[in-house]
Amino acid sequence: MAEPILAGVAESELGETPDRNWLDNAAIATVRALEDAGCSLGDVDGVAVAGGNDYMPALVLSEYLDLDEPSFLEGTEIGGSSFEHFCGHVRDAMTRGEADVVVVAYGSTGKTGPGRDQSLEETHPIDGFVRPTGLFRPPGAYAMAARRHMHEYGTTEEQLAEIAVATREWASMNPKAAQREPITVEDVLESRQIAEPFNLLDCCLVSDGGGAVVLVSEEKARELDVPEIAVAGVASTSTHRQDISEMPDMTTTGAAVTGPKAFDQAGITHDDVDVAEIYDSFTYTALVTLEDLGFCEKGDGGEFVSGGTTAPGGELPMNTQGGGLSYCHPGHFGVFVLIEAARQLRGDYEGDRQVDDAEVAIAHGTGGVLSSSSTVVLRREA
Amino acid sequence: MSAPVEDRREEWDGPVPVPTGATVPFWAGALEGDLRYQECDCGHCQLYPRAVCTACGAEDPPFEDSEGVGTIYTYTVCHVPGEPGFGDRTPYVVGAIDLAEGPRLLALLDAEPADLEIGAAVGVTFWRVSEEAAIPVFAPE
Repeated sequence: MAEPILAGVAESELGETPDRNWLDNAAIATVRALEDAGCSLGDVDGVAVAGGNDYMPALVLSEYLDLDEPSFLEGTEIGGSSFEHFCGHVRDAMTRGEADVVVVAYGSTGKTGPGRDQSLEETHPIDGFVRPTGLFRPPGAYAMAARRHMHEYGTTEEQLAEIAVATREWASMNPKAAQREPITVEDVLESRQIAEPFNLLDCCLVSDGGGAVVLVSEEKARELDVPEIAVAGVASTSTHRQDISEMPDMTTTGAAVTGPKAFDQAGITHDDVDVAEIYDSFTYTALVTLEDLGFCEKGDGGEFVSGGTTAPGGELPMNTQGGGLSYCHPGHFGVFVLIEAARQLRGDYEGDRQVDDAEVAIAHGTGGVLSSSSTVVLRREA
Repeated sequence: MSAPVEDRREEWDGPVPVPTGATVPFWAGALEGDLRYQECDCGHCQLYPRAVCTACGAEDPPFEDSEGVGTIYTYTVCHVPGEPGFGDRTPYVVGAIDLAEGPRLLALLDAEPADLEIGAAVGVTFWRVSEEAAIPVFAPE
């Protein structure tokens, strides 16, 4: 089995991009990521896109970039974990020799673009059961799951807040992060109530922006002057889709399935993981994912994250760019966890922001309302 | 069972369910105060209504009337309205209710947040919100 090499990463402008649409942002991130990899548009023979406001996003981006007959096209939409999921399909395509240079791209105008359609379109029979409840989604759905976790395991709001605090500490070192002022647990608990038990600072940002990564075959990587970051393990699954009430157990996510698979493929254990980029749409998302990936026992996530475990200098550096909570969150955050994992493994940073001698990173995506999970293990080749 | 159906059509400006396909019998029952779920011949119970049984694949599993009682699996208090028409309602409570028959259902909880706890018993009533549908709303027993 081939191991694709993650050769380039980039973001478009983040925050507010009122003069851009999702496609502009995806395209800008793509050309920057190609430049980062030392490739050009002419090298690209594969495109994987999710999250665009279009039902044929891979075709749209291919046309926009005037790509020459790409042989690999992928637009599977599983929400925020789509980009991790793509890594497995890219691996398969490269194993078959179908593609050598694949761009995985995302763009959004989640902040300044038009709001979602407010009419009750009966595209799915479940809509009539969900939308008349008025549940503020996704925050309310994740909040219900968090409350169940608190009920079963004694997890506290303070422990959830610890994740936001540690993440902000990382963000304070990232010039691209939207929120960089340090915060305390009290700040989180005293911030505006959104959907109990979540306050504003338990919730991710809303941003515009795009991101892209370039995956190349091992043969192509040897032509390029880039650090070799290998995709060493990939696994995806889903548990439900639109209604959090369809989630079989709100305290256990699909990461409990994808984590062991991806770790096993890569031949690693938890002790090997130097840095974890874990989808943090909400504080609870990161907490339950850490449990399900096996970094602690089920139910011990609150205790695990207490005391700065995931903060700079902590035992498990997590969301080292500031995460969806403080850096950016244009809707599908999954591409950004791949970008940051690669940068940490390349040693792109200086000082406290760089995790010392990081060789193995986890990039984990979550989509829907805790619905899909995809885990990628990245490893820096010696 | 037949639970009370309050006519809220005048005051309701939130989303209204549109009966379609397999959900038609559910919404028809709700207008009469009946909370229906699908119980397949194989024994599997399910909501939301679907054209197939998710356990055995049988087509169009039949509907049964629920007793309309269950327990709170979890809930949240929404301080930010999630849909049009909910702005004046905040804060309001949305719960995931485990019906006695098994299926779990998302629904408004007509209760003060301080009075709620996970595991508490709740019973259904209905709010009629359109000509075609009444939505299930639960309150502590």
